[in-house]
Amino acid sequence: MRMPPFTLHTPNNLAKALALAAELDSFDWISGGTDLLPNYKWKLNSKPDVISLSKVQELTALSGTVIGAMVRIHDLANNDEVHPLIRETAGTIASVMIRRSATVGGNICLDTRCYWFNQTEEWRRSIDWCHKCDCDTGADCRVIPNQNTLCVATYQADLAAAFIALDATIHLASATGARSMPFADFFELDGMTRNVLKPGELVTHVTLPDDAKNWQGAYQKLRLRETWDFPEAGVAAAWKISDGKITGLRVATTGCESIPGDHSDLAQDALVEWVGKDSIRALAEDVRKAVKPVSNTYFPPAYRRKMLRVLTRRALAPLEHL
Amino acid sequence: MGKGYRQAPGKSGSSKKRTDGKREAGQQDFGVPGSGGSDPHSKLQDLDYVPESVGGWKKQPRGPHVHDQHVTGTTIGKSTPLVDANWKMTGQAQYGDDIRLPGELIGKILRSPHHYAKINSIDTSAAESMEGVFAVATGQDSANRFGVLPVTKDEHAMAREKVRHVGDLVACVCAIDEATAIDAMNAISVDYEVLPSIHDMEDGLLDSENPIHDRGKYHIGESNVQKRVFQQFGDLDSMESAPFRHEADWEVAGLHHGFTEPHAVVAHWDPSGRLTVWSPQQVPHYLHRALSAVLEIPMHQINVHRTFVGGGFGGKSDPFPHEMCAAILARKCGRPVRINFDREEVYWINRGRHPSRIQMGVFADDDGRIAGIETDALIDGGAFASFGHVTTYYNGVLHTAPYEIGGFNYTGARVWTNKPASGAMRGHGAVNSRCAVEVGLDAVAEQMSVDPMTLRLANLLPPHSRTITGFRITSTGMRECLAKVREQSGWDEKFRNMPLGRGIGVGCGFFISGSGLPIHWDPENFPHATVHLQCDMDGGVTVHTGAAEIGQGSDTAVSQAVAEVLALPLDMIRIRSKETDTAPVDLGSYSSRVTFMNCNAAIRAAIELRGKVMKAAHEITGYHPDVLVIGDRRIYYKHDPAVGVSWLEAVHKAQADVGSLIATGAYRTAPMGGVHKGAAAGLAPAYSFSAYVAEVEVDVETGFVKVIKAWAAHDCGKALNPLAVKGQIIGSCHMGMGQVLSEEMKYGRDGHLMNPDLLDYKIMSVHEMPEVVPIIVESNDPEGPFGAKEAGEGPLLPILPAVCNAIYDAIGIRIDELPVTPDRLHKKIEKHCKQTGVDDPLDLPVPRYEPSPLQQQLVERAEAHAARDYQRDIQDDRSSYVNGVLFGFDPDIPMSEQKEGWRESVTPTAEDLADPKKRAAKAWSHVERRHQGDA
Repeated sequence: MRMPPFTLHTPNNLAKALALAAELDSFDWISGGTDLLPNYKWKLNSKPDVISLSKVQELTALSGTVIGAMVRIHDLANNDEVHPLIRETAGTIASVMIRRSATVGGNICLDTRCYWFNQTEEWRRSIDWCHKCDCDTGADCRVIPNQNTLCVATYQADLAAAFIALDATIHLASATGARSMPFADFFELDGMTRNVLKPGELVTHVTLPDDAKNWQGAYQKLRLRETWDFPEAGVAAAWKISDGKITGLRVATTGCESIPGDHSDLAQDALVEWVGKDSIRALAEDVRKAVKPVSNTYFPPAYRRKMLRVLTRRALAPLEHL
Repeated sequence: MGKGYRQAPGKSGSSKKRTDGKREAGQQDFGVPGSGGSDPHSKLQDLDYVPESVGGWKKQPRGPHVHDQHVTGTTIGKSTPLVDANWKMTGQAQYGDDIRLPGELIGKILRSPHHYAKINSIDTSAAESMEGVFAVATGQDSANRFGVLPVTKDEHAMAREKVRHVGDLVACVCAIDEATAIDAMNAISVDYEVLPSIHDMEDGLLDSENPIHDRGKYHIGESNVQKRVFQQFGDLDSMESAPFRHEADWEVAGLHHGFTEPHAVVAHWDPSGRLTVWSPQQVPHYLHRALSAVLEIPMHQINVHRTFVGGGFGGKSDPFPHEMCAAILARKCGRPVRINFDREEVYWINRGRHPSRIQMGVFADDDGRIAGIETDALIDGGAFASFGHVTTYYNGVLHTAPYEIGGFNYTGARVWTNKPASGAMRGHGAVNSRCAVEVGLDAVAEQMSVDPMTLRLANLLPPHSRTITGFRITSTGMRECLAKVREQSGWDEKFRNMPLGRGIGVGCGFFISGSGLPIHWDPENFPHATVHLQCDMDGGVTVHTGAAEIGQGSDTAVSQAVAEVLALPLDMIRIRSKETDTAPVDLGSYSSRVTFMNCNAAIRAAIELRGKVMKAAHEITGYHPDVLVIGDRRIYYKHDPAVGVSWLEAVHKAQADVGSLIATGAYRTAPMGGVHKGAAAGLAPAYSFSAYVAEVEVDVETGFVKVIKAWAAHDCGKALNPLAVKGQIIGSCHMGMGQVLSEEMKYGRDGHLMNPDLLDYKIMSVHEMPEVVPIIVESNDPEGPFGAKEAGEGPLLPILPAVCNAIYDAIGIRIDELPVTPDRLHKKIEKHCKQTGVDDPLDLPVPRYEPSPLQQQLVERAEAHAARDYQRDIQDDRSSYVNGVLFGFDPDIPMSEQKEGWRESVTPTAEDLADPKKRAAKAWSHVERRHQGDA
């Protein structure tokens, strides 16, 4: 399978990268390339220019609270300073080989996925294309036909759930300046736009709150095989315990909709009258209700929703007796 | 071998001899020429490996074998790394895509975007006029049909009038590079008229305005039924009234082989006008024939060059349209053309396991005998026939053993649908229905409150017997397989005795070791396999064979067979198995025939060669060949190894006497089988048997199944190379576990194949693969080479039912749908919870076992049968035994004379087809066109 031709740019610092980005009309950022290159080979919305971030040193910071966009997932999973929940989550991503190349920023900005989209050009021609990559045909969505406004491709990155659960902040930069926002606000409910990144803008790093180390957490992931597979559903939970009581609880999901879900409000409500196991069951049920997957990944949506309940329960199991 | 020369002078003594069997370039030991091998004073034979029957010490619990006298203790039965392993491990093996010829062009294939459409016109002018494009071809360039089975040739190189599935070949181009070829491919415009397509196999049973193929007067009505089979044997009345019965309606998804290497082909018409085609082919001979038919040139002008094969498993055993395309393009432009598939194209050409709907009834009587098996199998063939004719038979006839059954009632049908074609895949046709039979037996045992292990042991056909449809069973190690897995798995402690979510299950298998009739049946009884040996001044032996090495180890097996007879080290045997120009015809690597047939041919050739060399040795030494022993590169007097002649001296003498030292051997199957229509399907010179136990863990909340451990006993007759046999067992387990737990070709709501890639086609990873304990059972087949039978496909069968039955043991749910993906099992668990009135699946009851009085009766019968089998096997009791003796029949009188209503029928009556539940039976509601005039 052949890659469509493109021009590769390799700026060696952030300023140059952003300046270059401001000049180019249509381009993609590339970091690890584990998501972008397969999509390019399948001719999925490929661009004439690609800017590599591999030589940009500013994006590789890694500490307990700062995680650069160009940090490799493998390094994230194996660094003792990194929050245990992030480490645990990173360790479940794809396979060892992919983790060694893939990056934090790439994972956060992972393109949404869909059975009708992640296919070869010939295959997509056989379904007359789809909304997400319509090849200028104005094609309809193949998952939910007769709606031509929203793409329902699924966001299947693991890290987002963990970052939301830990109340992380995401930092962006462009030639016109930098900005930051709560992690969940980074995403926009549409499988095509996916997030708030403007043309020429990129994710520079993610920061965790200073007290993140006082939070514990767990990540539960649904996938058929213990390697390679994207999450069909993922639940990250984080909690803070002081004096034997839960003083903070946050829950986030991924792999179910076009964006990750922040269910911390539900978790907060559950904390009001926390009775252990039954509260967990009720919260798990609330999470299931809050998420509406569609039929565009390996497992059927009804099963994924039911499993959200199980995954939430399992993630929160350490809180059963509190 | 330490005292010989080394290839690197001056290094001898300093470098250490490897003991791991691996060979290093330039570092191989070899004997001083003419010395008589590594030791000029031969040792006596290694009697540990020589059978008792010819004076060795090798115990023969199953008695002597005709090849015993040719056992020299050289290599047979010793774990040997495959002879081509180093080529692969060092990256020097050339697979299909590694072939590079000067001036090669890259070919690309334009494929159909429609499931089913008429081609009105194809405009290739734009593509042809592009710079760098050398040739364009369409269906109009090849009028002749081909197909792997002569009776069902329904393929063209490219579609002529209509396309039959998404991905069907429409046109092809070749250009200076891949990018140009892709552009040219996209510049071809095709005007289609879309036709209504069918995707559900049951729709294939109905009349259609546009049947996917037209078989003329042999077409079955106006339907898409490609093949239908009906077989009734035995006492069906008793079967119908049997007190214990399990009837299940199975839905089994289609599968792909998932081999590593995508298809690739290079075609070149050389300056002398001959065509050479390089392709990773399992069956070069059929490709040879198909090329000749399609290109309309005689076979002698074609050389099919099999490259290394990066996995086949049945998926590279058809002659393929892209192979024709490459040859057609190369002929058009006079330059070599290479076509290389993307993974998606591999899924579109498919030929994997058939999606199937199987109704399986297993019946048992009050004595715990299997009163009968009733099967209705509808299989989805996709757009082409491929091996489907045979698959339709195999779905039924291959479960007439290893058990003795009262009756056999089979209806089978294969339909065309607008999907990629199904074909042959490891365990061809037997896997799905075998799983259904074994799960049925487990359920029947549960109803009877007996141990399913005992139920099986008390109903086995003995060695040297005949099945209900007339298959000839020679050796069987079934009983030993069951005994070994029972003991090693701790079955008696674990069965129905573990907590919820933990279970153990057993399953058995039965498979052909070679197909009794070759596909290209020849009235003159053309041999199935032929081997030529050639020995020259250097003393090495070159083996010319057409058997296709596809990674299963056929080159190693044939080397071992020759090396054993001639007592030569393996590195003195050279294999030439790649080209049809230099290899005698072999029918190819399918139906697990190669070891059995090709090694038999090789042994015959080696015996002939040995005779010539021994005669020369006799003339030199003066000792009669009967008292000469052939040892490690030396032929010596039996009672005094010091008196002898080196292999080389004897070879030189023989050459001086007779000229070239060559020999040839061939193998044909013995005449066998019944006379009814379809009697030949499933007929084999020998059968392999296997029994597996699997232990699983089921997560009742999510439906995930994890296999913890598998104990896998396989009767391969004789393990010529135990290392290779174990590899086959473990590999089969991996493949079978994929089918039972995760692998499936998923079709979307519009009939599109949704997962034509290795991310979404879920082959198990190393994390899911449990420990497999391979257990080799040797039943010493009387006709197998040194007693050997197949080990490549049979070992796949039992793992599926073993896992299904273990799931039942763990959570009390019967499986009737494959693969058992977590979502499917979760649905069943929810339903089961509702039925049992349990809210939380963690509170589900677990099946338990209280033996009924019948259990003791079965234990006693199994013991009596063990004694019977011992008599028949080891003590050479060859009194006739046919299926039915267990039910009180006399084996020497035709059954139909002993029992009124005994059926032996292959043509259905209206009554036979009345059951509205049976799907495949509906295929018989159509009348073949040639018979329509009579009505």
